[in-house]
Amino acid sequence: MSLKLIWQLSFRNILRHRRRNLMLFLAIAIAVTGVTGMNTLIRGMQYDMLDSAVENLTGHIKLHAPEYRDDPNINKGFPMADNFTPPVDAGEVMGWAARIRIPAVIMSERETRGIQIVGVDPNDEYISFLGDVPIEGEGLTDASDGRILIGKELADQLETKIGRRIVIVTQGIDGANREKGYRIVGTYDAEGTGLEKIYAFTGLANLQGLLDSDYVTEVSIRLKSEPQTPSMKDSLVRAFQDLAVLDWQELEPQAAAMFVFADGAIYIWFLLMMTTLIFGLVNTLITSVMERVRELGMVRALGMSKRMVLIQVVVESTLIMAIGVAFGLAGGYLFYLSIADGLDLSAWAEGMESVGMSSVMVPVLHWADFFLVAYLSLIFGVIASLYPAWRAVRIQPLEALRK
Amino acid sequence: MPRSRFGGSSLLKHSVSTETSRIAENRPRRSAYADILVLRLFAITWRNLWRNRRRTWLTVGGIAFAVWMIIFSRSMQEGTFDTMIDSGARLMTGHVQIQHHAYESDPRVDNTLLTSELIEIARVQPGVESVSARAQGFALVSQGDRSFGAQIVGIEPEIEREWSGMVSFVSQGRYLQQPGEVLIGATLARNLGLAAGDEMLVLGTAKRGGIAALALSVVGVFDSHQPEFNRAVVFGHIADFRDAWGMDEDEAHALVLIAQTVADGERIHARLEASVDGSDVNALGWQDLMPEAEQMRNMKTVSSEIMFVVIAIIITFSVVNTFMMVIFERTAEFGMLQAIGMKLRTIQWQLQMEAFCISLLGIAIGFVVAYGMIAALADSGVPIPVPEEAMAMYARMNVGDRLYPEFDWGALRTGGLVLLVGVQLAALIPTLRLRRMRPVDALRHEA
Repeated sequence: MSLKLIWQLSFRNILRHRRRNLMLFLAIAIAVTGVTGMNTLIRGMQYDMLDSAVENLTGHIKLHAPEYRDDPNINKGFPMADNFTPPVDAGEVMGWAARIRIPAVIMSERETRGIQIVGVDPNDEYISFLGDVPIEGEGLTDASDGRILIGKELADQLETKIGRRIVIVTQGIDGANREKGYRIVGTYDAEGTGLEKIYAFTGLANLQGLLDSDYVTEVSIRLKSEPQTPSMKDSLVRAFQDLAVLDWQELEPQAAAMFVFADGAIYIWFLLMMTTLIFGLVNTLITSVMERVRELGMVRALGMSKRMVLIQVVVESTLIMAIGVAFGLAGGYLFYLSIADGLDLSAWAEGMESVGMSSVMVPVLHWADFFLVAYLSLIFGVIASLYPAWRAVRIQPLEALRK
Repeated sequence: MPRSRFGGSSLLKHSVSTETSRIAENRPRRSAYADILVLRLFAITWRNLWRNRRRTWLTVGGIAFAVWMIIFSRSMQEGTFDTMIDSGARLMTGHVQIQHHAYESDPRVDNTLLTSELIEIARVQPGVESVSARAQGFALVSQGDRSFGAQIVGIEPEIEREWSGMVSFVSQGRYLQQPGEVLIGATLARNLGLAAGDEMLVLGTAKRGGIAALALSVVGVFDSHQPEFNRAVVFGHIADFRDAWGMDEDEAHALVLIAQTVADGERIHARLEASVDGSDVNALGWQDLMPEAEQMRNMKTVSSEIMFVVIAIIITFSVVNTFMMVIFERTAEFGMLQAIGMKLRTIQWQLQMEAFCISLLGIAIGFVVAYGMIAALADSGVPIPVPEEAMAMYARMNVGDRLYPEFDWGALRTGGLVLLVGVQLAALIPTLRLRRMRPVDALRHEA
């Protein structure tokens, strides 16, 4: 009994009941389209969250003085060598930026708020949200810029506006307070108000002058691709023995947890859809076996072994699944193409932004997910065929022929 | 495989030969007789269902699984949101707040309300657990030469300690007891280099632009898992705040109401909103106080609705399939029924009834299983199977390490209804084909 014959039998059996199997293909295809389509959205959210986490002044990897995270202060900074470049393969690095980031109090004529004052070199900040955030007024020009860029929400809270002056109070290198007036050069409008309320930016060199220090408190490094993070981190740990080298998972544990959750969500979705589907699949397969009792009795009488009967039913089921899955994957891909420009969810945006996602959901296609759905579905196809196949094997040739 | 199509049932024979032919001949009948006919049709339906038990059970099973899943997942979600909102309310905002009408958009110290009368109104609302006043504002807190900005929340600790989640988050020292004391966030304590027992200075802008200055002694440090609270929130006694900020005995920025349940809170909010309408105060519900939670709830609802739609479609298709098989197998039977005078429409009704019984059974089983599981889990909760690092996020969203499902009747209603309609349609479509069937050919049909 050749494999070719089994294929032939299975194909013909499927073709015998075109209409019935077409329904089954459709059901499988819709389930698979639903799962793969949803996967692209889940992946989209996942990578969007990663991007926001990384752009949120974090980068993929960050260097700090070891005590800085417990006591974010300029005296927990570190000096930067002239002509510093991260001692890693430049081809993997998208960019890096040195900053001072310390707590400060910001005061307008009317209101007072607690914020983080961030000294940056605006030319290096293409690696963070600051690089592409919409700015009203002007942005900072260079590291020696002595003006300040604040969030739109903060400006509203302080009841101040572009061109006005505000006062910053923060701690210098000697621990004593420094107070300085800044002119607001512009306001930035980030997604959500979380960042806008916290960060105010000024020139790095200028802030160093105010604090009487040439320290920076962090160096943030953004890589070209996320999977490089662990190996980069290793080489940085070796290069900077006296600094803390942290990756984005450690810096943004919440985003890292959501990242793990999204992986889990993909499996849960798949499992629920397939379980619903399997009832219909078993039903059809059983019917197709029961309809063929005489026929199966006949082939058994002619000498087909039990094993071959079993294999034939399993192959038939897997084949049905494979055809349905093929349609479904095509459907999922079409779904992806149809929303590839992004799905506008601004109606629910506030909640999404609060958990670090943007309001336009851009799907992300991972071929690995398609592959995963395909082969897990085939496994489900085999599982679904076990009971019908067992029924087919139990058919007694003599009794069957008498029917 | 059914052994005999009309085997041995006197009821079936009787039904087919008398009732159906009566319908076919359109004889007038009394209403009592019509009742019997429906009962008879139902009896036939029931028998037909169990002619192929396995298939019926598989179809019922698919529907039951879908119903179970829809109810269970929605109930888990609702329960989680309820916990989240309740602990969020008990951590900081309360279920309902009454504020000066301008305070929400412009939280300045001058926007105060007079409490005594409002407290009386709030206290008598059914479902209210507690009412207390708060005075709050932004200030500079400092120790030595270090200072940071923080939100000072002046509370009535003797009332709030009864419900506040902060009590359990005190990581060092103790909760507030009397004026002169202050409870601060862990990050702020670290930044200022403060520990329980130390002195702290508070400097803010009082009412009418004056200067508010206070020296308070730190009695405790809290770690609430909420970075922004830990970094920039300070709890003190309302009496100190009123003193320093130049407010009267009766003045406050908010009345904080704690309800027995979130649902109670929603009802109280609705009633208060109506009763303070037109006055210079506002009643805010949890949706206003925690807008992110509200948005997240909507977002989750949308994603679960997408799932329901896909599930409903899958179920519908597999039911279409089942009924196609039913019709294929029983073509000869239908031909016979037509030959002896049954109308096609009656056959279709018969199949619709079979479909209806299948979905009712499936929905009932799915409901019973889901209800039982949820009832069993409602008190003990479901442990969250998440890795260590995700716990911090759950804590941040005010969810503990267990989820408590809460039966969602809306999911049963919507899910059940969608599946019922889907199944009836699914059973109807294959029967349309019967119209092309000629009894003579059908009789010859071999299943």
